[in-house]
Amino acid sequence: MKQVEDSEILEKFSNTKTRNEAFNLLLNKYQQKIYWHIRRLVIDHDDTDDLVQDVFIKVWKNLENFRNDSQLYTWIYRIATNESITFLNKQKQRNNTPLDEVSAELEQTLVASSYFDGDKAQMKLQKALLTLPEKQRLIFNMKYFDDLKYEEIAAITGTSVGALKASFHIAVKKIETFMLNEDITF
Amino acid sequence: MEENLEHSDWMKGIKETGFTVPSGYFDDLNTGIKARISAERLRNVVQETGYDVPDGYFEKLHTTILTKTTSQSVSDTKPKVVRLWRSNILKYASAACFLIVAGAGIYFNYNQPATINGIGYTDAAAEQMLFDIDEEVIIEHIEANYRDEQKPTATEEALENYILNNYSQNDLTGNL
Repeated sequence: MKQVEDSEILEKFSNTKTRNEAFNLLLNKYQQKIYWHIRRLVIDHDDTDDLVQDVFIKVWKNLENFRNDSQLYTWIYRIATNESITFLNKQKQRNNTPLDEVSAELEQTLVASSYFDGDKAQMKLQKALLTLPEKQRLIFNMKYFDDLKYEEIAAITGTSVGALKASFHIAVKKIETFMLNEDITF
Repeated sequence: MEENLEHSDWMKGIKETGFTVPSGYFDDLNTGIKARISAERLRNVVQETGYDVPDGYFEKLHTTILTKTTSQSVSDTKPKVVRLWRSNILKYASAACFLIVAGAGIYFNYNQPATINGIGYTDAAAEQMLFDIDEEVIIEHIEANYRDEQKPTATEEALENYILNNYSQNDLTGNL
């Protein structure tokens, strides 16, 4: 299926007659990408479901004011990232969880999740990711699973490309060490 | 010709390209290449996250979001404004009614005897004061002040009726 261009979505959205059609196209294009982006951060499916809806409601409300000084998909990714990080911070505050126990809680969610059908290596990789600080985890996910360019990740996170590269390298080293300790060879 | 160009004098003086790299670049490049190799090797083992979603989830999600956005917007169109004052007659009639009610309220309030309110207040205060004083104190006070007086020959009930009929609560509290 031919992927619709962002410029076409924006053009249709600017016309009130084709606005709903434009949003439908936007949902088709980004719904799953945003779902997986959030899911990899918050782990739980139901939390992701709530967040992904919040994200697209925000997109719907603010797309009219979207300026073309950034790309549409980096703008949507940024909203999703902010919503996810805000959610995780609120969860920490609500449960009064010390920072070093956050990964343990997320790991419990991962292990107990009904919607995880990964093999041993996939589970290990997710566990390894949960040992990383939030920002490293975010950067690793976008680079490794979404295959985004550093420049695109920089636009989403507001971090310099140099800092992103350093974060990604550190993340990979940590994951490598974790996986080797867990007898996963690669 | 070619041979001449390679050995021309102006080329002999240019040994550098003029390009530069950021400081410490080659150290970082080393780390970067190693990390990329590790990531690629990892990718051979794990390509997917392993996360799953319920069957038909994304279709349902699509519908849910549209219900909360595009469908919602149809009912969110500008609310209909209903004029409160459809004609001038109704407007003036309402104003006149308001003035009549307000005027009557002010008139009756000013013509009420001022003493009523005052008495009402003092009676209530006196009653409250009597209520607050202990009965024993009242009895002791009466016995101390009226010990030498001749005891009335009337019955207590008749005396109580006489006091209630001829003295106000203010008179009684004034004497205590």
